[in-house]
Amino acid sequence: MTTAHVTAAAPAPASLPARLDALAAVLGDADDPANPLGDRAVLDADERGEMLTAGEEALHAFGLNAEFVPAYLGGRLTRLDHLVDVMRAVYRRDPCLGLGYGASSFIAGVNVWTAGDDTQRRAAAALLGAGGRIAVAYHELAHGNDMTRTEFTALPAGGRLLLDGRKEVITNVRRADALVLFARTSTAPGSRSHSQLYAEKTDLAADRTAYLPRYRTTGMRGVQLGGVRFDACPLPAGSVLGAPGRGLETALRSFQITRTTLVSMSAGIVDSALETTLRHVRARRLYGRTAADLPHVRSVVTGVFSDLLAADCFATVGTRALHLLPAETAIHAQAVKFFVSQALLDAMNRLSGVLGAAFYLREGPAARFQKLLRDIQPVGFGHAARAACQVSLLPQLPLLARRAWREGHAAPSALFAPGEELPPLDFGALALSAAGRESLGTSLAAGLAAMPDGQGPAYRLLRRYGEHFVRELTRLGEDCAALDPAELSVTASPYAYDLTSRYVGVLVAASCFETWRRARHSGTPFLSDPHWAAAALYRLSTPRGAPPRTLPAPLEDALWERLSERHRTGGGYLLLPRSPHHHPVGTPGRQQ
Amino acid sequence: MDDLTGTETTRTPGLRDWLVARIAEHLRMSPADVAADVPLSTYGLDSVYALTVAADIEDRLGVTVDPTVLWDNPTVDALCRAVDEAVAGAAAR
Repeated sequence: MTTAHVTAAAPAPASLPARLDALAAVLGDADDPANPLGDRAVLDADERGEMLTAGEEALHAFGLNAEFVPAYLGGRLTRLDHLVDVMRAVYRRDPCLGLGYGASSFIAGVNVWTAGDDTQRRAAAALLGAGGRIAVAYHELAHGNDMTRTEFTALPAGGRLLLDGRKEVITNVRRADALVLFARTSTAPGSRSHSQLYAEKTDLAADRTAYLPRYRTTGMRGVQLGGVRFDACPLPAGSVLGAPGRGLETALRSFQITRTTLVSMSAGIVDSALETTLRHVRARRLYGRTAADLPHVRSVVTGVFSDLLAADCFATVGTRALHLLPAETAIHAQAVKFFVSQALLDAMNRLSGVLGAAFYLREGPAARFQKLLRDIQPVGFGHAARAACQVSLLPQLPLLARRAWREGHAAPSALFAPGEELPPLDFGALALSAAGRESLGTSLAAGLAAMPDGQGPAYRLLRRYGEHFVRELTRLGEDCAALDPAELSVTASPYAYDLTSRYVGVLVAASCFETWRRARHSGTPFLSDPHWAAAALYRLSTPRGAPPRTLPAPLEDALWERLSERHRTGGGYLLLPRSPHHHPVGTPGRQQ
Repeated sequence: MDDLTGTETTRTPGLRDWLVARIAEHLRMSPADVAADVPLSTYGLDSVYALTVAADIEDRLGVTVDPTVLWDNPTVDALCRAVDEAVAGAAAR
């Protein structure tokens, strides 16, 4: 049941800039009302609660699915940071396309690449390569993120497996060509009773399969969320991905990749929303000047830019860690998902305050904002809720205090070099548990000790707040070593949950500081300027629960200038400025 | 006297008591209520927490065990046997 699409294009060029160019060319100009993939068309499809068909066809022509398939299986996936860059371009245009065409097949694929055998990998790669979709069916409404309580069964019967039960709120489940299902393959309690299954729809008996009605949602309205019910539906025993009973392990490994990269892709939504906001405040005249000239507006928008840079820096470090430090990313992935999702949500809410009534309008020049504000919401609960990430981090805290924070290792400098070379991604190297060994947090003390000389307020603030977060890690070490073992699960007190937030704050600070320090060493433009890093640490040091601190004038002025320059050149508002023509219209040729 | 709850003794002195006390403390239970032959997930021990027990065993006993030792040996009895084997294996090297 492969969906009818336009004919596949010639193989896309391999380099990232060439792929971004090709994608920009198929997406066309967002502002052109005649563009079938422009903002007008995106908003119309959203109003109808439908996927943008022309967009799906264009992404098929671009071969987006190939971005999800490792190169050794014929795809283009070699680097996760490149995948994120490509997907951000899609999310900037339409988050429904990002999730509904792309990311759900990617999650399914990562399960197959992590645990499947060669035959299963090749089958999934071929299906994606032909433009097919794979839905990823873990979720049951009754159990949320509590995967071990999964009721859906695939129990052995007469040399086959029999599927029984329901999966609910699953993207594309009806129109997908294959499913990755998370099922109980043993009735025994515990953590060795589950498995992933890879099932192509052609292997599923239609009279044993029933689709549940679509779930309607506030945001991501075009995404086709559905459910499925199986009633003793037979499946070949060879459909299990990996050894039976290893499903929880596969999930905990593969989700390190998908939790980190999906939330990072969503930064494209805020990038887009900030552009909309800047256009609005520069055009809007109030009290005899533009809104952009009002100090409060400037302050809020600059604060959002700073927070977005910090969030992207952390997401980028987390993504690079999947290549560089796969023994540690069981921690980083939870921390990135937890922090970046909230940073993005907060940024959107603050921007809506700047837009005022304009954020509420479903038409006019700022109309896409209200859609982006709705579409970003799942970042906080989809593919792991933020609180579930905290619960996963909690039992690591006493171990970190006992191991990593005493040992005090520094992470390799390549971790802090956005855009630069990475070793190959090894799905098999991702460790199930970091076992209290994590070198990002302790990199800050080593980095401060090696901080190059400098002058000026930004430099002084960077040092001062760097020292603040080094002390914070010392205090955390004392607090976590004394933590009651009864506080290390879902029944933990707010105090214990707060320790995870504090720890994640240190990780973000270390990411920003060390990225600045490395850029300063290598002379990378923009990143080597201390203002952005000083601003990031200053805002991060806001006491939890308080509104974020307004930046000191020297930081705000410098960042406003950078922000205005990005606005003029179309470089976007994320850590690495992108080439202007990747912004709305495609023209060939550029460097990364 | 090594064994508070189980019927088997362990070669590693105090191992069983320590493991039971640790798990009971985490679950806010009395050690006496942790049966040696009941899967610990039955008491609400979650799978992510179970992974960290391996590190605790390593730090206390100085032996290396797989992070999934508690997934693969989900009762107190089974866990004690697995850890005993790891200790004996380490001693033999």
